[in-house]
Amino acid sequence: MADYNKPIPSPDPYVTQPFWDGAKEGKLMLPRCTSCNRVHWYPRIMCPHCYSSSIEWFEASGEGYIHTYAVQNRAFGPWGEETPYATAYIDLKEGDRMFTALRGVDAEHPETIKIGAKVKIEFDQASDDVFVPYWRVVD
Amino acid sequence: MADYNKPIPSPDPYVTQPFWDGAKEGKLMLPRCTSCNRVHWYPRIMCPHCYSSSIEWFEASGEGFIHTYAVQNRAFGPWGEETPYATAYIDLKEGDRMFTALRGVDAEHPETIKIGAKVKIEFDQASDDVFVPYWRVVD
Amino acid sequence: MPSNPSMSAAIVAAAESDKIGYIEEGTTALNLHIEAIRNVCDAAGISPGQIEGIFATNHSNMLAEYLGIHPKYIDTTSVGGCSFQMHVHHAMAAINAGIIDIAVVSHGEAGYSSRKNQGNGTLRGGGGDAWLPSAQFGGGPYGAWGPPSYYAHALTRHMHQWGSTKEDFANIAVATREWAMLNPRAVMHSKETNPRGGPITVQDVLDSRMIVWPLNILDICLVTDHGGAVLVASAEKARSFKTPPVWIAGAGESQSHADMLEMDDFTATSAKASSEAAYRMAGMGPNDMEMAMIYDSFTVTAGITAEMLGLTARGEGPSLWANGNASPGGKFPVNTNGGGLSFSHSGMYGMMLLIEAYRQLSGTAEDGIHGLPGKQTSAQSAVVNGTGGLLSVTGTLVLTSDV
Repeated sequence: MADYNKPIPSPDPYVTQPFWDGAKEGKLMLPRCTSCNRVHWYPRIMCPHCYSSSIEWFEASGEGYIHTYAVQNRAFGPWGEETPYATAYIDLKEGDRMFTALRGVDAEHPETIKIGAKVKIEFDQASDDVFVPYWRVVD
Repeated sequence: MADYNKPIPSPDPYVTQPFWDGAKEGKLMLPRCTSCNRVHWYPRIMCPHCYSSSIEWFEASGEGFIHTYAVQNRAFGPWGEETPYATAYIDLKEGDRMFTALRGVDAEHPETIKIGAKVKIEFDQASDDVFVPYWRVVD
Repeated sequence: MPSNPSMSAAIVAAAESDKIGYIEEGTTALNLHIEAIRNVCDAAGISPGQIEGIFATNHSNMLAEYLGIHPKYIDTTSVGGCSFQMHVHHAMAAINAGIIDIAVVSHGEAGYSSRKNQGNGTLRGGGGDAWLPSAQFGGGPYGAWGPPSYYAHALTRHMHQWGSTKEDFANIAVATREWAMLNPRAVMHSKETNPRGGPITVQDVLDSRMIVWPLNILDICLVTDHGGAVLVASAEKARSFKTPPVWIAGAGESQSHADMLEMDDFTATSAKASSEAAYRMAGMGPNDMEMAMIYDSFTVTAGITAEMLGLTARGEGPSLWANGNASPGGKFPVNTNGGGLSFSHSGMYGMMLLIEAYRQLSGTAEDGIHGLPGKQTSAQSAVVNGTGGLLSVTGTLVLTSDV
């Protein structure tokens, strides 16, 4: 935790708290509409698919697949010391998509990273209250 | 100067520099259109009266009159320590109008401040390069 | 029933600020705005006092005050580089509704100078909000730092989904540079204008510095200082200026997402919807277009947009530029000013698209001066598309010459 030098998200107590509470326990909590049953990401107070306000949180598998990626050869601040690193959009097994800095890949050789590769979530403790999710290729 | 604890304006080197140069020497420099002869304040690269781009700077009298005023009973930051203080719009003798924190008045008794009262400019050194203009009632 | 606003208004003049590009002595966004407005009014033969509507991405009220005008219509739509296409759309709607007759759309952005001056680049308002979804779950926590780091993901996906290659997209930069070499005002016109100017090859693009794989620096637009303005006037007034009208035959706008988290298909943008709306209003289609001005913040932006505008099949956007088709002398001129890639790009590029489209269709493309071969084409119709945000928001215009 003392080592975490990246920008730390500010949890929003009105909408996203269940996600961050789950993160502290190493669980991926996702919002799901009880009306149309679809998952959406980022968390909302109204379902973007059917506009219902009945949203529940559930523990997801923490698994997904690379939708697309890039390798950041230039960056600023603490991330500047990590170049090159891969970033990716992750298709969640339960639906919708998250952004991440990708682990378990060789960013020096971007062409070795495979779209569709299976990834699993892990959490880094960034502060007392915030655990930041990362995704790692496990294929 | 070390005592100056109010927000300090950032001189714009492309348009307003002659004003700030004058301020350092205790002079009120004003922009005047050489086409329609009218003064405008704030400084511009195009005359707002006739749209000419021929603007010259000249040393003005530094005299004016209170156009209207108010007394700030609530404020924030360093100005918060000065309440109550009067602010005013000053009709410049040469034309157009400036804003200021007014000196030489009794802000505890706003009704004693007179619209039309004669004021003169003075400059406070706020930093090495910036002298901030203030107006003082001299009636 | 409301009437179809097609041809109810025209762009009647276009101008830039006194200086554009890398302005070494520095400037401010406000000065760039005012210079451009003064120049466009001079060109049209009107006084700024005759402007009735003011359209800008920020501080339209500040511009009106500076000019000493009391506008009847104020619009501060600010959704990125496509905002100016939308401003023209909105100005036409206000004119068609009978509210105003003359509007200015203005742009001033000190993208280059502000790097040196620490701020005041764009007249921006507002700050960030730590609780915005994009701040918690978007790129910031994961080292995404600006448009290039996001847009790169779209190119990766395009290559995966459609079998396109880096070379295909690099060729867009090469063809665009050929146009810049005909534009003496282009930053990358020649070795004289910039040490990195003059001709480039596909291999040069591939060998250039990698910024965010798969985007090399020559896939990425410039960051310059730039001001520009156009006047939009009613059909009744359109022929009363010193400068000729270019007609607004169609206009449309749309949005697919704000943060890239919500971009369903990384190889498609709302330019499909905005161009379909513009074509429908114009009663025209992509086959009726004789040239295109396509937002090229990145080669991938231009390539995908070509598909969305119906100029190529899906997945084949870069083919629009292949074999010299979109280059000087080619069958379908694209980005004849040299583009955001090689002409100038201050951060929001949409105004430069408008100015060049106006010049092409009014026969006033400014070169051929200095004894150089000109970039003036014979095109009488153009599709002009702006893309803003993170491939998020688009505005499309269909413009036609005055015949």
